[in-house]
Amino acid sequence: MTLSRRRAGQVLLGLMTLLLASTLVFLYLKSSRDQTATYTQSRDLIRQLQQLNAQWDSEVLKARIALTHNYDPLVAPLQEMTRIWADLENRDFYHDPADLPGWQANREAYQAAIQEKARLVDQFKSHNAVLRNSLAFLPTAEDDIQAQFNRYDDEGRLQLHDVATDTYDLLLSSLEFAQVTSDDRAADILVGLGKLAINKERLPPEFQGPVEILSNHISLILREQPVVNGLLDRIAAVPVAERLDDLTTHLNQDQQAADLVDHQYHRYLLIFSTLLVGLLLYLAMRLLRSFAEINRVNRALQAANETLEQRVERRTQQLKDAQSELLDSARQAGMAEIATNVLHNVGNVLNSVNISADLVTRKLRSSKALGLGRAVQLINERQGDLGTFFTEDEKGKLLPGYLNQLVDAIALEQQGMTDELAQLSKSVDHIKDIVATQQHYAGASTLKEPVHISALMDDALRMNAGALSRHNVTVVKHYAQVPEILADKHRLLLIMVNLISNAKYAMSNLVDRPRQMTLTVQPRDDATLQISVKDDGEGIPAENMTRIFTHGFTTRKEGHGFGLHSCALAAVEMNGQLTAHSDGPGLGAMFTLTIPMVLAGNPT
Amino acid sequence: MNEVLTCRFGVVFMLCLGLGMPLMAAPLDEALKPLPAVPMLDPAKVELGRQLFNEPRLSVNNTLSCASCHRLESGGADNKPFSIGFDGKPVDINTPSVFNASLNFKQFWNGRVDTLEAQIQQVVISPVEMGSDWKTVVQNLSALPAYQAAFQRAYPDGVTAANVQNALATYERTLLTPNSRFDQYLLGNTDIFTIQEKYGYQRFKDYGCIACHQGINIGGNMFQKFGVMGDYFKARGKTVESDLGRYLLTQDEEDRHVFKVPSLRNVAATAPYFHDASAKTLEEAVDVMFKYQLGRNPSQEDKDLIIQFLKTLSGEWAGKPL
Repeated sequence: MTLSRRRAGQVLLGLMTLLLASTLVFLYLKSSRDQTATYTQSRDLIRQLQQLNAQWDSEVLKARIALTHNYDPLVAPLQEMTRIWADLENRDFYHDPADLPGWQANREAYQAAIQEKARLVDQFKSHNAVLRNSLAFLPTAEDDIQAQFNRYDDEGRLQLHDVATDTYDLLLSSLEFAQVTSDDRAADILVGLGKLAINKERLPPEFQGPVEILSNHISLILREQPVVNGLLDRIAAVPVAERLDDLTTHLNQDQQAADLVDHQYHRYLLIFSTLLVGLLLYLAMRLLRSFAEINRVNRALQAANETLEQRVERRTQQLKDAQSELLDSARQAGMAEIATNVLHNVGNVLNSVNISADLVTRKLRSSKALGLGRAVQLINERQGDLGTFFTEDEKGKLLPGYLNQLVDAIALEQQGMTDELAQLSKSVDHIKDIVATQQHYAGASTLKEPVHISALMDDALRMNAGALSRHNVTVVKHYAQVPEILADKHRLLLIMVNLISNAKYAMSNLVDRPRQMTLTVQPRDDATLQISVKDDGEGIPAENMTRIFTHGFTTRKEGHGFGLHSCALAAVEMNGQLTAHSDGPGLGAMFTLTIPMVLAGNPT
Repeated sequence: MNEVLTCRFGVVFMLCLGLGMPLMAAPLDEALKPLPAVPMLDPAKVELGRQLFNEPRLSVNNTLSCASCHRLESGGADNKPFSIGFDGKPVDINTPSVFNASLNFKQFWNGRVDTLEAQIQQVVISPVEMGSDWKTVVQNLSALPAYQAAFQRAYPDGVTAANVQNALATYERTLLTPNSRFDQYLLGNTDIFTIQEKYGYQRFKDYGCIACHQGINIGGNMFQKFGVMGDYFKARGKTVESDLGRYLLTQDEEDRHVFKVPSLRNVAATAPYFHDASAKTLEEAVDVMFKYQLGRNPSQEDKDLIIQFLKTLSGEWAGKPL
């Protein structure tokens, strides 16, 4: 919602900017359009047209008075004027819209005038050419007739004198007519022509030709001279120059109008610029205010930030406290766990101690040493006649043999008890070790020492030997040839004792078949050693498989769910892994420990 | 009286001489002028115009080019009384020479257009000459890649009717025939004329031929009525439309039988003569001119001299005399 509104705002802003910019550009272009040059050039062109027009007029007059026989100069100005006019037409300058028809009309008037003038000049050329030709010919024509007269003798000439005079008069009248054309003279010439026609009849035949030619030419002059004069008048009357003046006047007016418009737009531009400056000032003020607002908000934000930091510090302190408390309780819990662990292990060994002590006690209770006491009592009763007693008394006779047997039996007993006590003291040693290990743990480091795996396995078995023999468990050993490795002996021992104990328990309810436990030691690869304990016992149901190593999980009535958990932890601490496998309930189970095989020779 | 006559005659003679004198005084500043130099025009346009000049596609049935009637090797016109149009029928007026046509003040016998461009425009669409129309011409030319390329080189807007006309007109402006013996004479080489030719020139001026045949093009700068001193058409018999001359344009009785005065340059190579091709030879043409235009009766000798002079008006085209 706000996004679309913001976008609409941006579009609006862009449009406003565009509008203002284009207005500015429009006003600028309108006001800066400098047309003075165009007007000047146009007026210049019109001036050239006027000049050419004047030149044209002068050429017409030159042709009129036969100063020139070449009419090319009568053609050239028109061509040049046509070219300049086309140039002028192509120019684009401002016209007051209301005035445009007037300009159009002026242009059309000029074109009409120039066309009319061109037409008249063309006619003038045609008529003037023949008129000049005939005028130029008149003397020659007269000469021709004179030549005919001269052929006659004086008498004949006298006869024709009138005719000659008339002809001559006619000739002169015609020449004068060329200079001063008037109706009177035209009438004179007409009369002269009539006389000549009559005279011609009276003249000899050789005169006929020249006279006719002469009268033809005079007729032509009579006909053409007024035409030429009329054409000249009409040419002079064609208002080309006036039309050009009109155009100039119009251009001046247009330029004034354009200047006016320019000034107007200048004013608009000024007003618009003022408005823009106002707008800019307003925007600047808005901007300054915005800056102040931003600064204020920034400061508030900074203050909030600082309080926040303090709060965070406080919270962090609280968290730290909680954490240390947690750590303490964790440590206590850990210590409890360790205690449990130690106690459990000690308990395991105490089992053996207990058994050994029990055994010694029982042996002592049923000791043959009691028989020795009774024999000594018999001897004491017969102290006075010991000889007879040994020789004659029935019982006394048996006594030496009995004592001999007793000596053997007691020696045997002593041997057994010595063995059992040795076992006992080994167990006590183990307890000592466990405690030492625990103390070692407390130091949070592992002690790696060279270990013979097979010897260690046997130690573990021995620790469980009593229980194993009580439960009639057969132990099968598959020990591969493994070199002495560096390992944490006590952790390993702990794990093995636990696993063997578990295996034994798993088979405690087994009645239908011999109880057999298989221990396997073999290297899995160059760097890993694999030790497994397999039993034929009750197995592990699949649903328990995942929970088997968790703390507190047990299937035994008196169990506390710590053994396998600590074993797994110990395995991990040794960088190894403890895994369980069972094909299902009743199908036995196999626990496998894998540990890194670091040879004792190269402790890397 | 005789004395008076003589005196008057003398005055008139002096007057005439006085009028004539300025022309005589400077022999090389005559009413007749030498041809100007061939103008330097855009070579691309000139070459394009040359191709178009010889291009039969300008006619409706691809039979006629400009050069079909305006043969440059024979005086810039053909030797027929009336050239044959696209439909095989003769046109109704004699073909004027294309040479030096750019120096004429107007084009066509009756001067109905002012420019060469307009002349070309009319000939192409004339129903008796090329019979085509400009749309077709432009289409046909546009279809040819060679023309496309040539027009693009010469004109920014390629093949258009105006450009075709301009190219042709530009070429025609180069069709001048300089170096005639008369021009060399005017340029000062007076020895090049024989004595007869000099007399001929003198007669040409004296009899007033020069009144109309004058200027740079020795004609072609004014209109004149055919039959100033007599009714030529009545004498010839049966008039046709083309005999009306400028009247066809203006409908002005004044313009009946009025024609553009033709140029006399190369006149010896452009027989037959007049708009109606009625004169087969120069002699006949000179006779008609004397009778109907000048109203004079010259001697045979004078006419021969004038004809000898007229023959000096032949210039050169492509380095060869016409």
